Amino acid sequence: MAATGTCHHCGEALPAQPHMAALGGSTHAFCCHGCAAAAEWIASADLDGYYRLRSANAARVGEALPDLAVWDRADVQAEHSRAIDGGREITLLTDGMRCAACAWLIDRALAREPGVIDCGANAVTGRIRIAWDPARTALSAPLQRLAMLGYRPYLAGSEAAERQRTGERRRWLLRLGIAGLGMLQAMMLAEALYLDFNSTMPVPTRDFFRWLTFLLCTPVVFYSGWPFLSGALRELRERRLGMDVLIASSTLLAYLASLVETIRGGPHVWYDAAVFLLLAARMLEQRARSVASAQVDALARARPAFATRERADGQREAVPLAALSVGDVACVAAGEAVPADGVLLGDGGDEAWFEEALLTGESAPVRKQPGEPVYAGTVCRERPARLRVTLTGTSTRLSQLARLVEQAQAHRPALARLADRIGSRFVLALLPVALVVFAGWWHYQPERALEVTLALLVISCPCALSLSVPAALATAHGALARIGLLAVRADAMDTLARATDIVFDKTGTLSDGRPVLAATQVLDPALDTAGALDIAAALERDSGHPLAAAFTRGDAAALGAARVEAVPGRGVQGVVDGRHWRLGRADFAAARQDDGALWLGDGQRAAARFVLEERARDDAAQALAALRAQGLRVHLASGDGEAAVRRMAATLGLDDAHARQSPEDKLALVRRLQAGGRVVAMVGDGLNDAPVLAGADVSIAMGEGASLAHRAADLVTTGGGLRRIPAAITLARATQRIIRQNLAWATGYNLLALPLAAAGWVTPWLAALGMALSSLIVTLNALRLARLKTPMEAP
Amino acid sequence: MAILLMLIPISLILLGLAVAAFVWAVKRGQFDDLDTPALDILEDNDRPAPPAGDTHARAADPGGRD
Repeated sequence: MAATGTCHHCGEALPAQPHMAALGGSTHAFCCHGCAAAAEWIASADLDGYYRLRSANAARVGEALPDLAVWDRADVQAEHSRAIDGGREITLLTDGMRCAACAWLIDRALAREPGVIDCGANAVTGRIRIAWDPARTALSAPLQRLAMLGYRPYLAGSEAAERQRTGERRRWLLRLGIAGLGMLQAMMLAEALYLDFNSTMPVPTRDFFRWLTFLLCTPVVFYSGWPFLSGALRELRERRLGMDVLIASSTLLAYLASLVETIRGGPHVWYDAAVFLLLAARMLEQRARSVASAQVDALARARPAFATRERADGQREAVPLAALSVGDVACVAAGEAVPADGVLLGDGGDEAWFEEALLTGESAPVRKQPGEPVYAGTVCRERPARLRVTLTGTSTRLSQLARLVEQAQAHRPALARLADRIGSRFVLALLPVALVVFAGWWHYQPERALEVTLALLVISCPCALSLSVPAALATAHGALARIGLLAVRADAMDTLARATDIVFDKTGTLSDGRPVLAATQVLDPALDTAGALDIAAALERDSGHPLAAAFTRGDAAALGAARVEAVPGRGVQGVVDGRHWRLGRADFAAARQDDGALWLGDGQRAAARFVLEERARDDAAQALAALRAQGLRVHLASGDGEAAVRRMAATLGLDDAHARQSPEDKLALVRRLQAGGRVVAMVGDGLNDAPVLAGADVSIAMGEGASLAHRAADLVTTGGGLRRIPAAITLARATQRIIRQNLAWATGYNLLALPLAAAGWVTPWLAALGMALSSLIVTLNALRLARLKTPMEAP
Repeated sequence: MAILLMLIPISLILLGLAVAAFVWAVKRGQFDDLDTPALDILEDNDRPAPPAGDTHARAADPGGRD
């Protein structure tokens, strides 16, 4: 079977043996069982319009579906859903909703589930609202359908938080709409005033128009502009000059000066000056922020939602996180995240291992003795543990960390801060200049003094300057999301554009993380090939290690393994059919010299030897060639053996490959490159990449990898393909170029306009027009980024 | 110019109606998702659902043919 082309459902590259399925008369190839099942269901439900309507590929469904039984628990539903007529309603988050067609498909699919009264999917916020009748269906049934189509459900915030979120969005839209409608009318009247070139309009009509404009502008300034006004107040209280102060003061200046002119019957009013365009600034900022808030949601998904509590009588019960209180005893199974901060319980022998990478960045598990503190969000390894809860909810270390992340996201990127700083210095310098100009004109021609000074202030409002960076970044983030990357850190784009070297991990990054068994050699006469494979499959089944997939076979459930324990960096051990087995490196499983192959044995004698091979992703060679064409040096650093790494490097034509690299070695490699003045981008996947991802100048985590790596990375891909990396670099470089053009234009405009206005050659309405035009040009220039052709779209 | 005295109040009333309609629409959630409803009219809504037993069987046994 030729492995060319992409999966019909998710668009990822096909594996060597794609799953074939006949749909509607033609046969399509799929990358996995999940995608094939989803497509078959879509076809049988007569929803194949989805494939015509969609503008982005679906998310990969994968092999294993999540267990959704927890959603049926009464306490979960009590907190996250509310009673409506004839049933209950819940709002939940999902990943994998990528375009409007996904929302369309979810709407249709859920509506056909028995017991679902009403549903609505929102592709913008990634939220799904389901109203169901508990008497006719359990909530988990429609959710099972969602998961089967590739949309895994996650708990959103509480019911109240969701309502607040919707309220906020709507209020923001109202402000924008009121501003639009108000400005429309105000402009109509202002136009009449402007076109009165020879002052032929009777004074009462003129004043009537002016008072009307005043009435129309008031709600715009004080309702729609309230975010600026309150932001300016906050900035003034904190004794700093930010963008909000600039925007609020210029708006209020134009508004109040016009009011003064209206009352005293002066020659000009400036009500229309720029309120709507300033609101456009708010709109752009809001767009950038909604991307960020989607990322905070992603963080929320990473937190455990349930805890296991041990009651006084020794019984265990699953409770929602919020129900856990200080003093409770919580049980954590191996591989689960700790729900709250606490103290490890047990006697001397009950030591446990915890992976604290999320908190400390150190990926190797830490051994804890009873009595030592353990932290929420760390992952219990190898053995289950019991702990007495000492801190819960927002006081845990994890929550403090999450707050730090949110702060970091609120943090504006360095370039935007620079533009702000220039802007506020500019304003500080502008005020004395305005005073001097006013004094000069007062001396020379007192009746024009106010007009000229106003024109000066309006035309030199550095809006374009402050818009230049956010406009470009908002558009770039949108374009980035379209090619399947999310920027988690604000500076990521900037650093990515400057990257000179790119370091790849191998497993799960350059390869698809699904090794194929190349050869099996049975050394124990009592075993045959199939028997050895069954034992290996039983041992690896629940390990979640990338190697495990190689042994997963249809009948793998035939053998059960007991007391399975993973030994980090060496392998797994456990009891299968009453015999003790070890599977892993030769020195661990069979007491031999490590040769890069995987050995099955009892620790002394070898029973079988497996040779596993990894294949490069189909688009890897293409992506690397594109990166090289962009002038980047490509490196490979892998924890795997010399032979495997050399084979991969040869296939892909890599010049610099490092094998047997521990996380520390990888970090040292990155540091060495950085010491040589290179800017290093790291593309990684697995758990042990987290420190390297954090240490590199900019890091990209592949979306299929462990969630931990995402949290250390600057950019996260939403799919597995590699071609989006050169595409992102193209985009990042274009963004830098656009930002530089914008800054140059805005600075040049302000420097040019200032002397003209001071000389009295600019009337206030021309000034307002100039300011609007310069902001518009900056915004339009930024919008060019959305139309940029990247290698992703034009392969 | 006396016509202005009539036209301007009319335009203000229309503006008031427009604002009221806009507020109503926002509160009803008409603007929450602007992309999905556009797709609704492109596909028929009232095709019969497939028999439930059939889909479950196919969903539960996705990889039967490879």
